[in-house]
Amino acid sequence: MGEKILEIRHLSKNFGTNHVLRDIDFTVDKGDVISIIGASGSGKSTLLRCINLLETPTSGEILYHGQNVVGRGVNAAAYRSHVGMVFQSFNLFNNMTVLENCMVGQIKVLKKHKEEARAHAMEYLEKVGMAPYINAKPRQISGGQKQRVAIARALAMDPEVLLFDEPTSALDPEMVGEVLSVMQALANEGMTMLVVTHEMAFARDVSTHVVYMNQGVICEEGPPSQVFGNPQRQETQDFLARFRKN
Amino acid sequence: MERLIKLGQDMVLLWQNYSAGYLSGIRSTLILAVVATVIGCIIGLICGVLNTIPYTKNDPLPKRFVLKLIRVLVRVYVEVFRGTPMVLQAVFIYYGLPYFTSNTVQWPGVWAAAILVVSINTGAYMAESVRGGIISIDPGQTEGAKAIGMTHVQTMLSVILPQALRNIMPQIGNNFIINVKDTSVMFIITFTEFFAFHRYITGVNNMYFPSAAIEMIGYLTMTLIASILLRWIEKWMDGSDSYDLVQVDPLTMTAGTYSHPDRGTPFDERSKENREKIRQELKFGRTRGDR
Repeated sequence: MGEKILEIRHLSKNFGTNHVLRDIDFTVDKGDVISIIGASGSGKSTLLRCINLLETPTSGEILYHGQNVVGRGVNAAAYRSHVGMVFQSFNLFNNMTVLENCMVGQIKVLKKHKEEARAHAMEYLEKVGMAPYINAKPRQISGGQKQRVAIARALAMDPEVLLFDEPTSALDPEMVGEVLSVMQALANEGMTMLVVTHEMAFARDVSTHVVYMNQGVICEEGPPSQVFGNPQRQETQDFLARFRKN
Repeated sequence: MERLIKLGQDMVLLWQNYSAGYLSGIRSTLILAVVATVIGCIIGLICGVLNTIPYTKNDPLPKRFVLKLIRVLVRVYVEVFRGTPMVLQAVFIYYGLPYFTSNTVQWPGVWAAAILVVSINTGAYMAESVRGGIISIDPGQTEGAKAIGMTHVQTMLSVILPQALRNIMPQIGNNFIINVKDTSVMFIITFTEFFAFHRYITGVNNMYFPSAAIEMIGYLTMTLIASILLRWIEKWMDGSDSYDLVQVDPLTMTAGTYSHPDRGTPFDERSKENREKIRQELKFGRTRGDR
């Protein structure tokens, strides 16, 4: 595949004596759509939060274009502006309108002009179908709409990688579709994405690579056809069997 | 009943003779309360923000030390000024300066001293309110701001503080109303506000009770007006409950041709699909829309 964007090496994270992540290794190439699946508490979200430095890894390295971003003397804010993140709970800024939510990062972090930021934000709000709502406040729109705005906010920063932390878990079933279809469109356009999800259909159909995590380690990984069609490990088979039943 | 009529008559009499004095007292009270509340809020905001700068074990030692020290200093300030009566603070600050400097340094005026005392008192209360306001904003928004690369200061200024300020508006209002009333203790440093004028009046004649009644009405009027204004400010800060759908957008030019920087949609000339289509057309001629 293309150039390496992120390389995670021997990443571990402890909360006290609780080892949430143990020796995680994997790479993200340009254009990859990687789905991370696994039971609750297996460390999926923590892994994603470590990659965006919202949690400080206990040990290990995260290389961004070959440069380690873990540890002292690293400009975390600058790094984060290249790695977008979409949260389970949307985390929109409640004091701003939809449009301002998508502009503030461009103006404050990328130091763009207001007009330029506005045009750029509009481009992505169009894409996620939220352009008619630019004057609404987050409390005035639905969950699915909030998540679409959150995606537009992350995209407006022109990130190299977009991290999704269970983007549809907090949504009502009828709103899941609108968010997934936006994500699918992004994947088709070649956006590099890392998606923690419980949507097995999305993981199977959209991603280029699937990572199954169990108890803080990567249990099995590979192309979706292999992980879903012919899982090698017993844990993976059990996990997928539970999903098939539902 | 006769008592009430007598009281009313005395009040009218007092007002006719001394209304200018009462009014100038009200003016001093209001100016002191407004200025001190504003300065106090600024002190409180600074303390609240300093108090909530996050640090982790991984930060370098000097940074952790400075932040810890700041928190201790703010804590001491808050506890001392919240825990002692404002009258005594006024005495200590106003008479303390000449006392400790053997009368070489005097206060430039009683106004400066009064504003200082009431401001730092308000600031001590506001510091805790601001801290509460900041931690009441859900941490997800801080994470959201961090995730798009904003620094702590940027996050505070554009995301957290505007919301925290709205949330502590009732507290600011509380403090303002308390200040309107409690500035009356500034008579101790000879500051002539509304209540001080009452003390002057009762010194020159024996109409103590009618004057106290005027004071009551005066204070209540001030605080009621303040309450109404504060409610109105809160409403204004909340903004409109409705919003307009933007059906016709000035930027819809981009609709259908939007693209991620290096990729396009099927309609975009730069896209692979479109280029392929054009190539096929050149090779085999148009297959659709041909006459």
